[in-house]
Amino acid sequence: MNTVPELFISAVNAFSDSEAVIEDARRVTYAGLGRLVNKFSSYLTSLGIGPGDRVLILLPNSIEFVTAFFGVASVGAVSVPVSTAFKKQEIQFYIDHSGATLVLTDGVFAELLKDSASESAAPIRVVKGGSADWHKCEDSASDTAVIDPEDEVIYLYSTGSTGKPKRVARTHKNLIALADNHTRTVGWDENDRVLFTVPISHTYGLGNFISSIKIGAAIVTQGEFNRRKVLEQIEKESVTVFPAVPVMLDALSRTRLEYPGDLSSLKLVISAGAPLPEPTFRSFHSKFGIYPRQLYGSTETGVISINLGGSIEKRFGSVGRPVKNVDVRVLDDKGGEVISGEVGEITVKSPSMTRGYYGLPEETSEVFKNGYYFTGDLGRIDPDGYIYIVGRKKLFINISGNKVDPGEVENVLTSHPLVSEAAVLGMNDEKGNELVKAVLVTEGEVKTGEIIEYCRDRLAGYKVPRIIEFTDELPRSPSGKVLRERLK
Amino acid sequence: MSSETKDRIKRLLVQNVLKNMAETDIRDDSSLIDLGVGLDSVATLKLVVALEEEFQISIDEGEITSEILESVNSIQSFLAGKSEDIY
Repeated sequence: MNTVPELFISAVNAFSDSEAVIEDARRVTYAGLGRLVNKFSSYLTSLGIGPGDRVLILLPNSIEFVTAFFGVASVGAVSVPVSTAFKKQEIQFYIDHSGATLVLTDGVFAELLKDSASESAAPIRVVKGGSADWHKCEDSASDTAVIDPEDEVIYLYSTGSTGKPKRVARTHKNLIALADNHTRTVGWDENDRVLFTVPISHTYGLGNFISSIKIGAAIVTQGEFNRRKVLEQIEKESVTVFPAVPVMLDALSRTRLEYPGDLSSLKLVISAGAPLPEPTFRSFHSKFGIYPRQLYGSTETGVISINLGGSIEKRFGSVGRPVKNVDVRVLDDKGGEVISGEVGEITVKSPSMTRGYYGLPEETSEVFKNGYYFTGDLGRIDPDGYIYIVGRKKLFINISGNKVDPGEVENVLTSHPLVSEAAVLGMNDEKGNELVKAVLVTEGEVKTGEIIEYCRDRLAGYKVPRIIEFTDELPRSPSGKVLRERLK
Repeated sequence: MSSETKDRIKRLLVQNVLKNMAETDIRDDSSLIDLGVGLDSVATLKLVVALEEEFQISIDEGEITSEILESVNSIQSFLAGKSEDIY
Protein backbone atom coordinates (compact mmCIF):
# COMPACT_ATOMS: atom_id res chain seq x y z
CA MET A 1 0.00 0.00 0.00
CA ASN A 2 1.31 3.40 -0.93
CA THR A 3 -1.27 5.91 0.28
CA VAL A 4 -3.24 6.53 3.45
CA PRO A 5 -6.60 5.62 1.83
CA GLU A 6 -5.04 2.35 0.62
CA LEU A 7 -3.77 1.64 4.14
CA PHE A 8 -7.25 2.31 5.48
CA ILE A 9 -9.10 0.22 2.88
CA SER A 10 -6.64 -2.61 3.41
CA ALA A 11 -7.41 -2.56 7.13
CA VAL A 12 -11.17 -2.39 6.50
CA ASN A 13 -10.98 -5.44 4.24
CA ALA A 14 -8.58 -7.46 6.40
CA PHE A 15 -10.17 -6.73 9.77
CA SER A 16 -13.76 -5.95 8.86
CA ASP A 17 -15.40 -7.57 11.88
CA SER A 18 -12.80 -6.39 14.40
CA GLU A 19 -13.41 -3.39 16.58
CA ALA A 20 -11.79 -0.28 15.14
CA VAL A 21 -12.72 2.58 17.46
CA ILE A 22 -14.33 2.64 20.88
CA GLU A 23 -15.52 5.94 22.30
CA ASP A 24 -17.39 5.59 25.59
CA ALA A 25 -20.50 3.59 24.80
CA ARG A 26 -20.04 3.87 21.03
CA ARG A 27 -18.20 1.21 19.09
CA VAL A 28 -17.52 0.75 15.44
CA THR A 29 -15.91 -2.13 13.58
CA TYR A 30 -13.49 -1.64 10.71
CA ALA A 31 -16.32 -2.40 8.31
CA GLY A 32 -18.52 0.16 10.05
CA LEU A 33 -15.72 2.69 10.03
CA GLY A 34 -15.31 2.08 6.32
CA ARG A 35 -18.97 2.97 5.76
CA LEU A 36 -18.65 6.10 7.91
CA VAL A 37 -15.61 7.23 5.93
CA ASN A 38 -17.49 6.67 2.66
CA LYS A 39 -20.31 8.89 3.91
CA PHE A 40 -17.86 11.49 5.15
CA SER A 41 -16.06 11.52 1.81
CA SER A 42 -19.40 12.16 0.09
CA TYR A 43 -20.06 14.94 2.57
CA LEU A 44 -16.70 16.59 1.88
CA THR A 45 -17.23 16.30 -1.86
CA SER A 46 -20.65 17.95 -1.50
CA LEU A 47 -18.87 20.85 0.23
CA GLY A 48 -16.51 21.20 -2.70
CA ILE A 49 -13.47 19.72 -0.94
CA GLY A 50 -11.08 17.99 -3.28
CA PRO A 51 -7.43 17.21 -3.94
CA GLY A 52 -5.00 19.61 -2.32
CA ASP A 53 -7.60 21.41 -0.20
CA ARG A 54 -6.75 21.92 3.46
CA VAL A 55 -9.23 20.91 6.12
CA LEU A 56 -8.73 21.93 9.75
CA ILE A 57 -9.81 19.23 12.19
CA LEU A 58 -10.57 20.60 15.65
CA LEU A 59 -11.91 17.56 17.47
CA PRO A 60 -11.04 15.49 20.51
CA ASN A 61 -9.99 11.86 20.13
CA SER A 62 -13.19 10.34 18.83
CA ILE A 63 -14.87 8.26 16.16
CA GLU A 64 -15.49 11.53 14.31
CA PHE A 65 -11.79 12.48 14.39
CA VAL A 66 -10.80 9.14 12.87
CA THR A 67 -13.59 9.34 10.32
CA ALA A 68 -12.71 12.90 9.36
CA PHE A 69 -9.02 12.13 8.97
CA PHE A 70 -9.58 9.22 6.58
CA GLY A 71 -12.43 11.01 4.84
CA VAL A 72 -10.19 13.98 4.11
CA ALA A 73 -7.40 11.69 2.92
CA SER A 74 -9.81 9.79 0.67
CA VAL A 75 -10.77 12.89 -1.30
CA GLY A 76 -7.09 13.81 -1.69
CA ALA A 77 -7.26 16.74 0.70
CA VAL A 78 -4.87 17.58 3.56
CA SER A 79 -5.79 17.29 7.25
CA VAL A 80 -4.68 20.03 9.61
CA PRO A 81 -5.41 18.63 13.07
CA VAL A 82 -5.10 21.12 15.91
CA SER A 83 -5.26 20.81 19.66
CA THR A 84 -8.54 21.36 21.45
CA ALA A 85 -6.53 23.17 24.14
CA PHE A 86 -6.00 26.11 21.80
CA LYS A 87 -7.76 29.44 22.14
CA LYS A 88 -9.51 31.31 19.34
CA GLN A 89 -6.49 33.43 18.40
CA GLU A 90 -4.27 30.37 18.13
CA ILE A 91 -6.82 28.44 16.07
CA GLN A 92 -7.16 31.46 13.81
CA PHE A 93 -3.42 31.32 13.10
CA TYR A 94 -3.63 27.70 11.99
CA ILE A 95 -6.64 28.36 9.79
CA ASP A 96 -4.90 31.28 8.08
CA HIS A 97 -1.43 29.79 7.84
CA SER A 98 -2.54 26.41 6.53
CA GLY A 99 -4.87 27.94 3.98
CA ALA A 100 -7.71 25.81 5.31
CA THR A 101 -10.95 26.12 3.38
CA LEU A 102 -13.04 24.14 5.85
CA VAL A 103 -13.08 23.68 9.62
CA LEU A 104 -14.52 20.46 11.09
CA THR A 105 -15.35 20.67 14.76
CA ASP A 106 -17.97 20.19 17.46
CA GLY A 107 -20.65 22.52 18.74
CA VAL A 108 -18.56 24.07 21.49
CA PHE A 109 -15.75 25.18 19.21
CA ALA A 110 -18.16 26.19 16.48
CA GLU A 111 -19.64 28.68 18.93
CA LEU A 112 -16.17 29.90 19.91
CA LEU A 113 -15.15 30.46 16.30
CA LYS A 114 -18.42 32.01 15.19
CA ASP A 115 -17.97 35.41 13.56
CA SER A 116 -14.22 34.90 13.37
CA ALA A 117 -12.33 36.69 10.63
CA SER A 118 -11.67 33.55 8.64
CA GLU A 119 -15.20 32.15 8.66
CA SER A 120 -15.93 33.21 5.10
CA ALA A 121 -12.74 31.62 3.77
CA ALA A 122 -13.02 28.53 5.98
CA PRO A 123 -16.62 27.75 6.86
CA ILE A 124 -17.17 25.88 10.08
CA ARG A 125 -19.06 22.60 10.04
CA VAL A 126 -20.15 20.73 13.13
CA VAL A 127 -19.41 17.05 12.57
CA LYS A 128 -19.64 15.78 16.12
CA GLY A 129 -22.65 15.98 18.33
CA GLY A 130 -26.36 16.40 17.88
CA SER A 131 -26.30 19.00 15.15
CA ALA A 132 -23.90 17.11 12.87
CA ASP A 133 -25.62 16.27 9.58
CA TRP A 134 -23.00 14.43 7.56
CA HIS A 135 -24.56 11.12 8.59
CA LYS A 136 -27.37 11.81 6.14
CA CYS A 137 -24.96 11.60 3.22
CA GLU A 138 -25.01 8.58 0.98
CA ASP A 139 -22.78 5.70 1.84
CA SER A 140 -21.73 5.53 -1.75
CA ALA A 141 -18.76 3.27 -2.24
CA SER A 142 -17.02 6.17 -3.83
CA ASP A 143 -13.75 5.84 -5.56
CA THR A 144 -10.98 7.62 -3.79
CA ALA A 145 -9.31 10.50 -5.53
CA VAL A 146 -6.27 9.83 -7.65
CA ILE A 147 -3.46 10.28 -5.18
CA ASP A 148 0.27 10.21 -5.63
CA PRO A 149 2.18 8.85 -2.62
CA GLU A 150 4.25 12.06 -2.69
CA ASP A 151 1.13 14.17 -2.20
CA GLU A 152 0.73 15.87 1.15
CA VAL A 153 -1.77 14.25 3.51
CA ILE A 154 -1.30 16.12 6.78
CA TYR A 155 0.08 19.36 8.15
CA LEU A 156 1.44 19.37 11.65
CA TYR A 157 3.04 22.34 13.30
CA SER A 158 6.37 22.29 15.04
CA THR A 159 7.05 24.59 17.93
CA GLY A 160 10.08 26.71 17.32
CA SER A 161 11.61 29.75 18.89
CA THR A 162 10.79 32.25 16.19
CA GLY A 163 7.42 33.28 17.54
CA LYS A 164 5.30 31.30 15.12
CA PRO A 165 4.80 27.56 14.76
CA LYS A 166 6.41 26.05 11.67
CA ARG A 167 4.33 24.06 9.23
CA VAL A 168 5.50 20.52 8.67
CA ALA A 169 3.88 18.68 5.78
CA ARG A 170 3.96 14.91 5.67
CA THR A 171 3.09 12.95 2.57
CA HIS A 172 1.14 9.72 2.13
CA LYS A 173 4.48 8.00 1.66
CA ASN A 174 5.78 9.48 4.92
CA LEU A 175 2.82 8.17 6.94
CA ILE A 176 2.90 4.73 5.31
CA ALA A 177 6.60 4.52 6.20
CA LEU A 178 5.89 5.71 9.74
CA ALA A 179 3.25 3.04 10.28
CA ASP A 180 5.49 0.41 8.76
CA ASN A 181 8.59 1.36 10.77
CA HIS A 182 6.70 1.55 14.03
CA THR A 183 4.65 -1.62 13.75
CA ARG A 184 7.55 -3.73 12.50
CA THR A 185 9.64 -2.57 15.45
CA VAL A 186 7.05 -2.87 18.19
CA GLY A 187 5.44 -6.05 16.93
CA TRP A 188 1.79 -5.07 17.33
CA ASP A 189 -0.98 -7.09 15.72
CA GLU A 190 -4.76 -7.10 15.31
CA ASN A 191 -5.23 -8.38 18.84
CA ASP A 192 -3.81 -5.21 20.32
CA ARG A 193 -6.02 -2.55 21.86
CA VAL A 194 -4.48 0.89 22.22
CA LEU A 195 -5.74 3.51 24.69
CA PHE A 196 -5.53 7.05 23.34
CA THR A 197 -5.66 9.71 25.97
CA VAL A 198 -2.74 11.50 24.30
CA PRO A 199 -4.21 13.59 21.48
CA ILE A 200 -4.16 12.06 18.02
CA SER A 201 -3.75 15.62 16.70
CA HIS A 202 -0.20 15.61 18.06
CA THR A 203 2.66 13.79 16.32
CA TYR A 204 3.03 11.30 19.19
CA GLY A 205 -0.61 10.29 19.13
CA LEU A 206 -0.71 10.39 15.32
CA GLY A 207 2.13 7.91 14.93
CA ASN A 208 0.53 5.42 17.30
CA PHE A 209 -2.85 5.99 15.66
CA ILE A 210 -1.79 5.35 12.06
CA SER A 211 0.18 2.31 13.23
CA SER A 212 -2.87 0.95 15.05
CA ILE A 213 -5.02 1.23 11.93
CA LYS A 214 -2.39 -0.44 9.77
CA ILE A 215 -2.38 -3.61 11.85
CA GLY A 216 -6.08 -3.65 12.69
CA ALA A 217 -5.73 -2.85 16.37
CA ALA A 218 -8.62 -1.38 18.34
CA ILE A 219 -8.39 2.31 19.17
CA VAL A 220 -9.89 3.08 22.57
CA THR A 221 -10.36 6.82 22.81
CA GLN A 222 -10.56 8.91 25.92
CA GLY A 223 -11.05 12.61 26.40
CA GLU A 224 -9.16 14.48 29.05
CA PHE A 225 -6.86 12.35 31.18
CA ASN A 226 -8.51 10.97 34.29
CA ARG A 227 -6.79 8.37 36.43
CA ARG A 228 -9.88 6.42 37.35
CA LYS A 229 -11.14 6.39 33.78
CA VAL A 230 -7.78 5.23 32.47
CA LEU A 231 -7.68 2.32 34.88
CA GLU A 232 -11.30 1.45 34.24
CA GLN A 233 -10.76 1.56 30.48
CA ILE A 234 -7.66 -0.60 30.65
CA GLU A 235 -9.63 -3.27 32.47
CA LYS A 236 -12.95 -2.95 30.66
CA GLU A 237 -11.48 -2.82 27.17
CA SER A 238 -8.54 -5.16 27.88
CA VAL A 239 -6.16 -2.48 26.71
CA THR A 240 -2.76 -3.86 25.75
CA VAL A 241 -0.92 -0.65 24.87
CA PHE A 242 -0.99 2.68 26.70
CA PRO A 243 0.93 5.60 25.16
CA ALA A 244 1.35 8.24 27.85
CA VAL A 245 3.44 11.19 28.95
CA PRO A 246 5.46 11.25 32.19
CA VAL A 247 3.04 13.51 34.08
CA MET A 248 0.25 10.97 33.52
CA LEU A 249 2.42 8.08 34.66
CA ASP A 250 3.51 10.05 37.70
CA ALA A 251 -0.08 10.86 38.64
CA LEU A 252 -1.10 7.21 38.19
CA SER A 253 1.77 5.91 40.25
CA ARG A 254 1.05 8.34 43.08
CA THR A 255 -2.70 7.99 43.02
CA ARG A 256 -4.39 7.11 46.26
CA LEU A 257 -7.26 5.70 44.25
CA GLU A 258 -7.66 2.09 45.22
CA TYR A 259 -8.34 0.26 42.01
CA PRO A 260 -8.78 -3.45 42.55
CA GLY A 261 -9.40 -4.21 38.89
CA ASP A 262 -7.51 -6.51 36.59
CA LEU A 263 -4.90 -4.66 34.56
CA SER A 264 -3.10 -7.77 33.38
CA SER A 265 -4.00 -7.09 29.72
CA LEU A 266 -1.47 -4.26 29.64
CA LYS A 267 1.72 -5.34 27.89
CA LEU A 268 3.27 -2.05 26.79
CA VAL A 269 3.26 1.37 28.45
CA ILE A 270 4.99 4.06 26.40
CA SER A 271 6.38 7.29 27.78
CA ALA A 272 7.23 10.18 25.45
CA GLY A 273 7.14 13.95 25.16
CA ALA A 274 9.45 14.66 28.06
CA PRO A 275 12.16 12.79 29.97
CA LEU A 276 10.86 10.04 32.24
CA PRO A 277 12.10 10.67 35.79
CA GLU A 278 13.56 7.65 37.53
CA PRO A 279 11.21 7.90 40.56
CA THR A 280 8.22 7.75 38.20
CA PHE A 281 9.72 4.80 36.29
CA ARG A 282 10.19 2.83 39.50
CA SER A 283 6.98 3.82 41.28
CA PHE A 284 4.88 3.01 38.22
CA HIS A 285 6.42 -0.43 38.04
CA SER A 286 6.03 -0.92 41.76
CA LYS A 287 2.31 -0.09 41.57
CA PHE A 288 1.34 -1.72 38.28
CA GLY A 289 4.00 -4.35 37.63
CA ILE A 290 4.99 -3.01 34.23
CA TYR A 291 7.89 -0.79 33.21
CA PRO A 292 7.17 2.31 31.09
CA ARG A 293 9.26 2.33 27.91
CA GLN A 294 10.53 5.62 26.54
CA LEU A 295 9.89 6.60 22.96
CA TYR A 296 11.54 9.46 21.10
CA GLY A 297 10.21 11.28 18.10
CA SER A 298 9.57 14.67 16.61
CA THR A 299 6.97 16.48 14.55
CA GLU A 300 9.50 16.63 11.73
CA THR A 301 10.26 12.92 11.63
CA GLY A 302 7.65 10.94 13.48
CA VAL A 303 8.90 8.15 15.71
CA ILE A 304 12.69 7.90 15.92
CA SER A 305 13.35 5.28 18.57
CA ILE A 306 11.77 3.22 21.32
CA ASN A 307 13.30 1.40 24.27
CA LEU A 308 12.10 -2.18 24.07
CA GLY A 309 15.31 -3.79 25.10
CA GLY A 310 16.10 -6.02 28.00
CA SER A 311 17.97 -4.64 30.99
CA ILE A 312 15.30 -1.95 31.22
CA GLU A 313 16.10 -1.47 34.90
CA LYS A 314 19.55 -0.23 34.00
CA ARG A 315 18.63 1.40 30.71
CA PHE A 316 15.37 3.07 31.73
CA GLY A 317 16.86 6.50 30.93
CA SER A 318 17.43 5.58 27.29
CA VAL A 319 14.93 6.37 24.54
CA GLY A 320 15.95 3.12 22.94
CA ARG A 321 17.29 2.08 19.58
CA PRO A 322 16.13 3.53 16.27
CA VAL A 323 13.03 1.93 14.80
CA LYS A 324 13.27 0.06 11.50
CA ASN A 325 14.57 2.08 8.55
CA VAL A 326 15.55 5.06 10.70
CA ASP A 327 19.17 6.08 10.99
CA VAL A 328 20.41 8.14 13.92
CA ARG A 329 23.83 9.77 14.08
CA VAL A 330 25.32 11.95 16.78
CA LEU A 331 27.40 14.78 15.34
CA ASP A 332 29.82 17.29 16.81
CA ASP A 333 29.80 21.02 16.12
CA LYS A 334 31.81 20.53 12.94
CA GLY A 335 29.39 17.98 11.56
CA GLY A 336 31.56 14.95 12.15
CA GLU A 337 30.27 11.81 13.80
CA VAL A 338 31.29 11.56 17.44
CA ILE A 339 32.97 8.54 18.98
CA SER A 340 30.52 6.07 20.52
CA GLY A 341 29.33 7.33 23.87
CA GLU A 342 30.32 10.95 23.30
CA VAL A 343 27.73 13.68 23.41
CA GLY A 344 26.74 15.59 20.31
CA GLU A 345 23.67 16.69 18.38
CA ILE A 346 21.21 13.94 17.44
CA THR A 347 20.51 13.82 13.72
CA VAL A 348 17.93 11.59 12.06
CA LYS A 349 17.30 10.19 8.61
CA SER A 350 13.87 8.64 8.18
CA PRO A 351 11.52 7.83 5.31
CA SER A 352 8.72 9.31 7.41
CA MET A 353 10.30 12.72 7.76
CA THR A 354 9.17 15.96 6.20
CA ARG A 355 11.03 17.72 3.41
CA GLY A 356 11.16 20.94 5.37
CA TYR A 357 9.27 23.89 6.80
CA TYR A 358 6.76 25.63 4.58
CA GLY A 359 7.83 29.11 3.59
CA LEU A 360 11.00 29.04 5.71
CA PRO A 361 13.91 28.16 3.42
CA GLU A 362 16.52 29.49 5.81
CA GLU A 363 15.27 27.58 8.82
CA THR A 364 14.86 24.52 6.64
CA SER A 365 18.42 24.63 5.37
CA GLU A 366 19.67 25.09 8.93
CA VAL A 367 18.17 21.86 10.22
CA PHE A 368 17.77 19.64 7.14
CA LYS A 369 21.23 18.88 5.82
CA ASN A 370 22.50 16.04 3.64
CA GLY A 371 19.28 14.09 4.12
CA TYR A 372 19.38 14.35 7.90
CA TYR A 373 17.22 16.32 10.29
CA PHE A 374 19.22 18.07 13.00
CA THR A 375 16.98 17.70 16.03
CA GLY A 376 18.60 20.27 18.29
CA ASP A 377 18.67 17.60 21.00
CA LEU A 378 21.97 16.70 22.57
CA GLY A 379 22.59 13.05 23.22
CA ARG A 380 24.84 10.06 23.01
CA ILE A 381 24.59 6.49 21.80
CA ASP A 382 26.03 3.69 23.93
CA PRO A 383 28.02 0.79 22.46
CA ASP A 384 24.81 -1.27 22.15
CA GLY A 385 23.10 1.41 20.10
CA TYR A 386 20.86 2.82 22.82
CA ILE A 387 20.19 6.56 22.57
CA TYR A 388 20.27 8.85 25.59
CA ILE A 389 19.00 12.44 25.45
CA VAL A 390 21.12 14.64 27.69
CA GLY A 391 20.15 18.18 26.80
CA ARG A 392 18.80 20.58 24.24
CA LYS A 393 20.26 23.17 21.89
CA LYS A 394 16.87 24.50 20.88
CA LEU A 395 15.17 27.31 22.69
CA PHE A 396 11.77 25.96 23.61
CA ILE A 397 10.13 25.13 26.91
CA ASN A 398 8.77 21.66 27.58
CA ILE A 399 5.70 21.71 29.79
CA SER A 400 4.97 18.08 30.51
CA GLY A 401 5.30 17.13 26.86
CA ASN A 402 3.73 20.27 25.44
CA LYS A 403 6.32 22.44 23.69
CA VAL A 404 6.13 26.18 24.21
CA ASP A 405 7.79 28.67 21.90
CA PRO A 406 9.07 31.57 24.03
CA GLY A 407 8.75 33.85 21.01
CA GLU A 408 5.06 33.10 20.65
CA VAL A 409 4.39 33.96 24.29
CA GLU A 410 6.54 37.11 23.98
CA ASN A 411 4.50 38.23 20.99
CA VAL A 412 1.31 37.88 22.98
CA LEU A 413 2.76 39.70 25.97
CA THR A 414 4.06 42.63 23.96
CA SER A 415 0.69 42.99 22.29
CA HIS A 416 -0.62 44.11 25.70
CA PRO A 417 -0.91 47.92 25.55
CA LEU A 418 1.21 48.44 28.66
CA VAL A 419 3.96 45.86 27.99
CA SER A 420 6.84 47.36 26.04
CA GLU A 421 9.28 44.43 26.25
CA ALA A 422 9.04 40.81 27.28
CA ALA A 423 11.45 37.94 27.69
CA VAL A 424 10.10 34.43 28.16
CA LEU A 425 12.20 31.52 29.27
CA GLY A 426 11.95 28.12 30.85
CA MET A 427 13.17 27.42 34.29
CA ASN A 428 13.01 24.42 36.56
CA ASP A 429 11.24 24.35 39.87
CA GLU A 430 12.59 22.48 42.89
CA LYS A 431 11.16 19.22 41.54
CA GLY A 432 12.84 19.64 38.18
CA ASN A 433 9.64 20.51 36.30
CA GLU A 434 9.98 23.15 33.63
CA LEU A 435 7.92 26.31 34.01
CA VAL A 436 7.21 29.28 31.78
CA LYS A 437 8.67 32.48 33.21
CA ALA A 438 8.09 35.94 31.82
CA VAL A 439 10.07 39.05 32.64
CA LEU A 440 8.35 42.26 31.58
CA VAL A 441 9.14 45.90 31.05
CA THR A 442 5.93 47.88 31.32
CA GLU A 443 4.73 51.41 30.85
CA GLY A 444 2.86 52.03 34.03
CA GLU A 445 1.65 49.67 36.67
CA VAL A 446 0.29 46.31 35.57
CA LYS A 447 -0.82 43.60 37.95
CA THR A 448 0.24 40.00 37.57
CA GLY A 449 -3.39 38.90 37.47
CA GLU A 450 -4.07 41.18 34.55
CA ILE A 451 -1.19 39.68 32.60
CA ILE A 452 -2.36 36.16 33.38
CA GLU A 453 -5.89 36.96 32.26
CA TYR A 454 -4.62 38.58 29.07
CA CYS A 455 -2.54 35.51 28.26
CA ARG A 456 -5.31 33.11 29.25
CA ASP A 457 -7.62 34.63 26.66
CA ARG A 458 -5.04 34.22 23.90
CA LEU A 459 -2.97 31.14 24.68
CA ALA A 460 -3.51 27.51 25.58
CA GLY A 461 -3.29 27.13 29.35
CA TYR A 462 0.09 25.40 29.40
CA LYS A 463 1.70 28.37 27.61
CA VAL A 464 0.60 30.96 30.16
CA PRO A 465 3.56 32.11 32.29
CA ARG A 466 3.60 30.68 35.80
CA ILE A 467 6.20 33.15 37.01
CA ILE A 468 5.92 36.80 36.10
CA GLU A 469 8.49 39.39 37.10
CA PHE A 470 8.76 43.05 36.29
CA THR A 471 11.94 44.95 35.61
CA ASP A 472 13.05 48.35 34.36
CA GLU A 473 15.35 46.92 31.75
CA LEU A 474 16.09 43.51 30.18
CA PRO A 475 19.74 42.41 30.18
CA ARG A 476 21.09 42.44 26.66
CA SER A 477 24.31 41.59 24.85
CA PRO A 478 26.19 44.26 22.86
CA SER A 479 24.30 43.07 19.79
CA GLY A 480 20.98 43.59 21.53
CA LYS A 481 20.12 39.93 22.16
CA VAL A 482 18.29 39.30 25.44
CA LEU A 483 20.49 37.37 27.85
CA ARG A 484 17.89 34.89 29.10
CA GLU A 485 20.29 33.01 31.31
CA ARG A 486 20.54 36.08 33.54
CA LEU A 487 16.79 36.06 34.01
CA LYS A 488 16.60 32.57 35.56
CA MET B 1 -12.73 26.14 59.54
CA SER B 2 -9.14 25.48 60.46
CA SER B 3 -6.57 28.07 59.49
CA GLU B 4 -3.95 25.34 59.56
CA THR B 5 -5.77 23.56 56.71
CA LYS B 6 -5.87 26.77 54.74
CA ASP B 7 -2.16 27.32 55.30
CA ARG B 8 -1.44 23.83 53.99
CA ILE B 9 -3.58 24.49 50.93
CA LYS B 10 -1.74 27.76 50.29
CA ARG B 11 1.61 26.01 50.57
CA LEU B 12 0.56 23.44 47.99
CA LEU B 13 -0.75 26.15 45.68
CA VAL B 14 2.58 27.95 45.81
CA GLN B 15 4.57 24.75 45.36
CA ASN B 16 2.53 23.43 42.45
CA VAL B 17 0.82 26.27 40.62
CA LEU B 18 1.38 29.79 41.94
CA LYS B 19 5.13 29.80 41.67
CA ASN B 20 5.05 33.55 41.52
CA MET B 21 3.69 34.09 44.94
CA ALA B 22 4.36 33.76 48.61
CA GLU B 23 1.82 31.96 50.78
CA THR B 24 1.24 35.17 52.71
CA ASP B 25 0.15 36.87 49.47
CA ILE B 26 -2.81 34.55 49.06
CA ARG B 27 -5.94 35.58 50.94
CA ASP B 28 -8.49 32.98 51.89
CA ASP B 29 -10.97 34.52 49.49
CA SER B 30 -8.55 35.55 46.70
CA SER B 31 -9.81 34.56 43.29
CA LEU B 32 -7.43 31.74 42.43
CA ILE B 33 -8.66 31.64 38.82
CA ASP B 34 -7.45 35.22 38.38
CA LEU B 35 -4.09 34.18 39.79
CA GLY B 36 -3.73 31.39 37.25
CA VAL B 37 -5.10 28.32 39.01
CA GLY B 38 -7.00 25.93 36.79
CA LEU B 39 -5.55 27.30 33.56
CA ASP B 40 -4.42 23.97 32.28
CA SER B 41 -5.21 20.40 33.07
CA VAL B 42 -1.63 19.37 33.80
CA ALA B 43 -1.14 21.94 36.55
CA THR B 44 -4.54 21.07 37.98
CA LEU B 45 -3.67 17.38 37.99
CA LYS B 46 -0.43 18.08 39.83
CA LEU B 47 -2.35 20.11 42.42
CA VAL B 48 -4.87 17.30 42.86
CA VAL B 49 -2.12 14.73 43.43
CA ALA B 50 -0.43 17.07 45.91
CA LEU B 51 -3.70 17.58 47.82
CA GLU B 52 -4.22 13.82 47.94
CA GLU B 53 -0.78 13.20 49.38
CA GLU B 54 -0.97 16.08 51.84
CA PHE B 55 -4.40 15.23 53.21
CA GLN B 56 -4.25 11.45 52.68
CA ILE B 57 -7.49 11.32 50.70
CA SER B 58 -8.47 10.17 47.23
CA ILE B 59 -9.73 12.79 44.76
CA ASP B 60 -11.12 12.10 41.30
CA GLU B 61 -9.85 14.95 39.12
CA GLY B 62 -13.17 14.77 37.32
CA GLU B 63 -14.77 16.19 40.48
CA ILE B 64 -12.66 19.34 40.33
CA THR B 65 -14.68 22.24 38.96
CA SER B 66 -13.85 25.90 38.57
CA GLU B 67 -16.12 26.54 41.56
CA ILE B 68 -13.97 24.34 43.76
CA LEU B 69 -10.81 26.09 42.60
CA GLU B 70 -12.33 29.53 43.09
CA SER B 71 -10.57 30.24 46.40
CA VAL B 72 -8.72 28.70 49.31
CA ASN B 73 -12.04 28.70 51.17
CA SER B 74 -13.76 26.71 48.44
CA ILE B 75 -10.91 24.19 48.24
CA GLN B 76 -11.08 23.76 51.99
CA SER B 77 -14.83 23.18 51.87
CA PHE B 78 -14.35 20.57 49.18
CA LEU B 79 -11.67 18.77 51.17
CA ALA B 80 -13.74 18.90 54.34
CA GLY B 81 -16.47 17.12 52.46
CA LYS B 82 -14.05 14.33 51.60
CA SER B 83 -12.87 13.57 55.09
CA GLU B 84 -14.00 14.10 58.65
CA ASP B 85 -10.39 14.74 59.58
CA ILE B 86 -10.25 17.91 57.51
CA TYR B 87 -11.97 21.01 58.80
